[in-house]
Parts: sequence; structure tokens; C-alpha cells
Amino acid sequence: MAQNAVPLTAKPKKRKMGHLERKNTLVAFSFIAPNFIGFAIFTLIPVVMSVIMSLMESKTGAIFGAKWVGLANFEEIFNVAKVSGKIAEEGLLSGLTYFFNRVDLGIALKNTVFYTVVTVPLTLVCSICLALVLNRAVKGAVAFRAIFFFPYVASMVAICVCWNFMLMKDGPINQLLMSIGINFNKSWTADSTMAMWAIILVSVWRSMGYYMVIYLAALQGVPRELYEAATVDGANKWQQFWNITLPQLNPTTFFSSIMLIIGCFKIYDTVAIMTGGGPGRATKMLVTYIYDTAFVQFNYGKASAIAMVLLVIVLLVTVIQFSMEKKFSND
Amino acid sequence: MKKLLALVLAAIMTLSVMSFAAAEGTTLTIVAWDVNTTGYLTAQKEAYEATHPGVTIEYIDVSSQDYDTKVAAMLAAGDSSDIYMVKDVPALMNWYDAGYAMNMNDYIAASNYDLSGYVGMEVNYNYNGEQVALPFRSDFWVLFYNKTLFDNAGVAYPTNDMTWEEYKEKAIALSGNGNYGTHNHTWLSACVNWAVCDGVNTLIDGEYSDLAYFYQLVQDLEDAGACMAYSEVTAAGLHYSGAFGNGNIAMLPMGYWYVATLINNIKDGNYNVSDWGIVAVPHKEDVKAGSTFGNLTGVMINKKATNADAAWDYIAWLCGEEGSKVTAGTGNRPAWVSEGVAKVMSSVEGFPQDENSVAALLPSYVAIEIPGDPNASAISSILGEEHSMIMTREISIEEGIEEMNERVQELLSK
Repeated sequence: MAQNAVPLTAKPKKRKMGHLERKNTLVAFSFIAPNFIGFAIFTLIPVVMSVIMSLMESKTGAIFGAKWVGLANFEEIFNVAKVSGKIAEEGLLSGLTYFFNRVDLGIALKNTVFYTVVTVPLTLVCSICLALVLNRAVKGAVAFRAIFFFPYVASMVAICVCWNFMLMKDGPINQLLMSIGINFNKSWTADSTMAMWAIILVSVWRSMGYYMVIYLAALQGVPRELYEAATVDGANKWQQFWNITLPQLNPTTFFSSIMLIIGCFKIYDTVAIMTGGGPGRATKMLVTYIYDTAFVQFNYGKASAIAMVLLVIVLLVTVIQFSMEKKFSND
Repeated sequence: MKKLLALVLAAIMTLSVMSFAAAEGTTLTIVAWDVNTTGYLTAQKEAYEATHPGVTIEYIDVSSQDYDTKVAAMLAAGDSSDIYMVKDVPALMNWYDAGYAMNMNDYIAASNYDLSGYVGMEVNYNYNGEQVALPFRSDFWVLFYNKTLFDNAGVAYPTNDMTWEEYKEKAIALSGNGNYGTHNHTWLSACVNWAVCDGVNTLIDGEYSDLAYFYQLVQDLEDAGACMAYSEVTAAGLHYSGAFGNGNIAMLPMGYWYVATLINNIKDGNYNVSDWGIVAVPHKEDVKAGSTFGNLTGVMINKKATNADAAWDYIAWLCGEEGSKVTAGTGNRPAWVSEGVAKVMSSVEGFPQDENSVAALLPSYVAIEIPGDPNASAISSILGEEHSMIMTREISIEEGIEEMNERVQELLSK
């Protein structure tokens, strides 16, 4: 008996794969292959190339033959020489002020973060309100749901052009404002402050319908018994909303906010059509900055470096998402 | 049976050899943009093939919007197309730096090609003594005007030696009743690039106080209601072509390319303009009358071209008397111009036949819109941003110019 005993530390013998098993594995890989090859060609390889290109000087978009410059592109986009000089001479605050007000990357970052910080909560609040109103069995609810969802499927160019007309100096929005005593005698997109609000307005208006649909689905899943129990306990509608509906919607809110944050950091089309990043640099965003640097100035190395900054930000958001997932789940 | 089979096989072989022989000859591949909508490309192809039997021209169409980017990718991938059309100077500089453009010096010397028809414009494609491309088209800027509106307002037509002050007076006099005296498109070029017409200032020199005069002029015209406000034109996305075509704009400073668009749209009944003319753009008191600025469209030979010699033969034809006449015949302004070519330009159907319009075809001086420089694109972006700030009145002209100077000088110092 003792002779036959296998020592506990011994490694289990590696089992050879049988013919059928090998065949099954190959079949499994062949199913994955098309997707993986597509992912590799259109996502993975470009991402790796972009990382490499951020360390090179490339005016043609080609990696081969491009000059290796190390971190020079990053030094340029952060304007390290000037910003560090300011910090050394006038202190950290002065250096940061210079970076966020004078350096292209700083301005694009500031604008993108401002746009995100305002757009995300505004969209969430609007879509929750819409979902709550249209979740009731009111007359025409289905039609209204379709109407609010429509902007999401409409052409972005058409939407932006129409809004540009509505926000013109003598457009309907300014006339509406004038009727309540606010005289804004300028096109929104031609004003440094209002141009950003015009973009936020269009973005919220466009995506609230989509998130409304997601919230509508989530509202269907809130157990009726919770409301019944609350009613028995004497809770009013507001208390029910605050203590039942909102907590029950937590996972949806979490998912929506992550999607919105990433979407906001990638904003391009609305800005390109409505303001072109202007006036001046008032609505210059990270992606419009990347586009201009790569495809207008043909500085692919520098553009890749800016893209790396965006990548880090989006990665950070994703990491936060994973770390907070449990906290926001209903389980 | 065997004999019959042998005969059939022999016949097939003979036919295939014959068809191969018929397909022989040179096929020149030319990479160009918007081939189907660019009239002169078809005319050039047809004219060259008719006079050069055995040569076939094949265009590779790339959309004009992404032209420079896509061409850069094609060249980097080792594409062997023979000729590449050159859209702008900064892009050509990048291709030259990357070693894609062939030096044409030897071809020019060997064929005694006459460069004098360019009046010096070819230097913009010459880097380190190497002629890496040749222009075949040059769109300098002229002043278009609607004669009907001038007649109705009783204002004298503009002339080839008009100053900017006279232009301003006319524009204000022509405004009212839904009409505008002039129209400034939103580009920096269309508003203030007139400063480079003196041959001294350029957009890449890092000093922009020379633009102040023109910014003031445009803002004065806006304030007087003589043109639409920049912010409204931008917000509405109004295209200059449709704006002038509406028939309520008396003058429009624009590139010569607009001649072909105007003629075709009037012919098709799309525009509400019937009687029009062109004159040289106005000039400042201290600048020679007839001075203007313009852009070049050119051709370069790919270093990896399959048929480099045939490509040069085509370029020598395209950028010479014959090719220029063909280009001129389509309503476009060739870069290489002689009196014979100018005659063809003015004989295009629909081109105004008054003396001033014909004389405007031969400007006294053409400055390049933005010279070839590694920083040209980055400078353009900075100037464009500050331009929009000045034009939307977010900052004053002085502040805007100060910003332009500071930002461009910082870029140049790197």
C-alpha cells in the first residue's frame, strides 16, 4: 500500500490530448479566428503601431523609415520646457494656469473634461425624468418614446446643421430667450462661452432618448412589491422615488455613466460640424486636436502622442468602472 | 480529327498573341482627386491620347477631402503609379522629405523644357535646387462682380486698378434692399491674405501686423451692413458659391476656380446671375495694381514609377503650350501661360468678353498663398484659430494679432 502511494508533491502527469479533443479545440479556434483576426487587424495592430508612432517623428503616417525621437512628442504636447520654466519661476499654480490656458493639449483637456462633467449628469437626469414620465400608462407614451429616441438614429450632420440654424443670432432660440427678457445678440457658436453650451445642448438632446430607453427597461425590472410595501408603510411618491426607484436603478446609472464618460471623451462629430473647435480654441477637444494634428498638419507622431493621453484617460475610467462595479450592483 | 484539333489550338494561340499585341503600349497611371467631377482631367486625357497613340491614361481616383492622407499612405506602401497630382505645397514637401518624389532636373535639361511661361511660379516646387514637381494649374484670386446689381445701383463697374478704399466705398454704395455690396467667405485667405500681395509679407514669417488693415476693412464692411457677418456665414455654413449665385451680392473676391463653377451653373440655370465680370483684386496704395496671390496644382513623378520616361513626356506636354491650352479650354487657369493660352481662356463659352475681364487673366504679380515650409500647416491652424476669434469679435484686432505673433513665434523658436 505504502509502495503504491503517490507523493503529494508530485506533479500530475500531463495528459495527452486525444484526437477528438484536438479536433474540437481546432473547431473552437476556427470559430474564434474570424473575430480575433478582425480585431487584430483593425484594432490591436493599429493600437500597437500608434504606441510606437508616438515615439517617432512621422510626417507620412509610415512607421518604417520614421525617425525615433523618444519622448520628444510628449515633451512637445505638454510644452514641458515652457510649463516647467513657469513652475520653477512662478510656482506650480502659475505653471498649471499656463498649461490649461495656453498649451493646446491643456486647453483640449480642460474643454473635454468640462464638456464631460456637464454632459454626463445632465444627460442622466434628463433621461431618468423622461423614462419616469413615459413609464406610466399615459396616452401617447409609445409615440413620445419614439419621438425622443428619434434624434439618436437621425444623421448627426443633419442634427448639427439644424441646431446651428436654431442657435443663430436671429434664430428661434435667441428669439425665445428675448421673449423672456434675455437679449443674447449673437450666434451661440460664434461666442467663446456659449459655443461649448451649444455643443452640450445638442449632445444631451441627442443621447437622452437612447438612455431613456435603457432606463425604461430598468424601470420594468423594479419589483412592484417594494412600492406596495412602501405604500403600506406610508411613504409618499418622493420618498418612494428616492429610496426605491433610484437605488434600484443604480446598476443602470453606473453602466450609462461609464458609456457616457467614454463617449464624451471621444466627442468629435458634433464639434467638427458645429464649431470646428472654435471660436479660437473655445471648443477644441482631445479628438479634434488629434485629427487636426494628424490629418491637417500631418504630424502623425505628435497626434499618436495625444492619442496616448486619451488612451490613458479612457483606461483610467475603465479601471474605475471595474473597481466600483460591485458597489453599484443590486445583489 | 487530330488535324482539326491542331488547327483550333493554333488559331487560339494566334488570337491570344494578337490580342496581347493589341494590348501593348504604355498605360500611364495618374493619381488624382474627384476625377469624375473635375472636367479638365477628362479633357487632358482625351487630348493626350488622341495625339499620342499607344499611350493610355488611367486615373486612380482619391477623394479630395482625404487626398493628402491617402496619397501619403499609398506612397509609403510602395505604390508604383507613375504620376501623382499635387494638391498643396506642404504635402509635397512631406513627400519629398520622405523620398517619394523624383527630381525632374535631368528631364528638364534634356528636353529643353521652357520654364519661362510660369513667370517664376515653379520655384514653389523647387527644393534644394531639385525641381520635384511642375504646376499645371494656378488659381490666383480675382474679384467677381454682378454687373446687374451695379447697373441697378448706378455705381461704376470695378476696374483692374481699383484700391481697397474704392472697393469699400463701392461695397457700401451697393448695399441695401436685401443686397450686399460684397461677400467675404470665412477663410482667412478670403478676408485678409491680401497682405501677401506685396511680395514681402508671408503667412509664415511670424509677424502679422500687416493683416490689421484688412481685418479693419472687413469689420467696417460688416458694421456698415455691406456684407454678411462672419459669425452668421459660419453658423449657416453658407457656401460662397451659392451666396453669389443668389444674385444679391455685388462683389466676391474668390479664386479663379470659381469661373468654371459660375459658367456651368449659369448655363444650367441654377444661379440667379446673368451678367458678370472679373477684375483684378483691389490693391493697397503702395502695392502694384494687378497683384494677387494664388495656389498651384501640380504633378510629380513617383520615384517608383513603372513608366518614368513616359510620365515625363506627359508632364512636358501637360505643363507646356498644348496642355495648357487644353486646361484653359475647360475654364481653368493653367500655370504655364502664353498669349496664345490667354486667348483660349477668354474664348471659353460663357466667359465675360469685356476688356477688363480679359485683361484680368494676366495679373502683374502672383504671390503664393502660403509658402512651402515644414511649419506651414501648424501655422495655418494657429492663424485660423485666432482668425475666428477676431472675426467673431471675441477679441480685438490688436489682441488677435498679438496672439498670432506670440503663438507662431513660439512655434518657430522650437
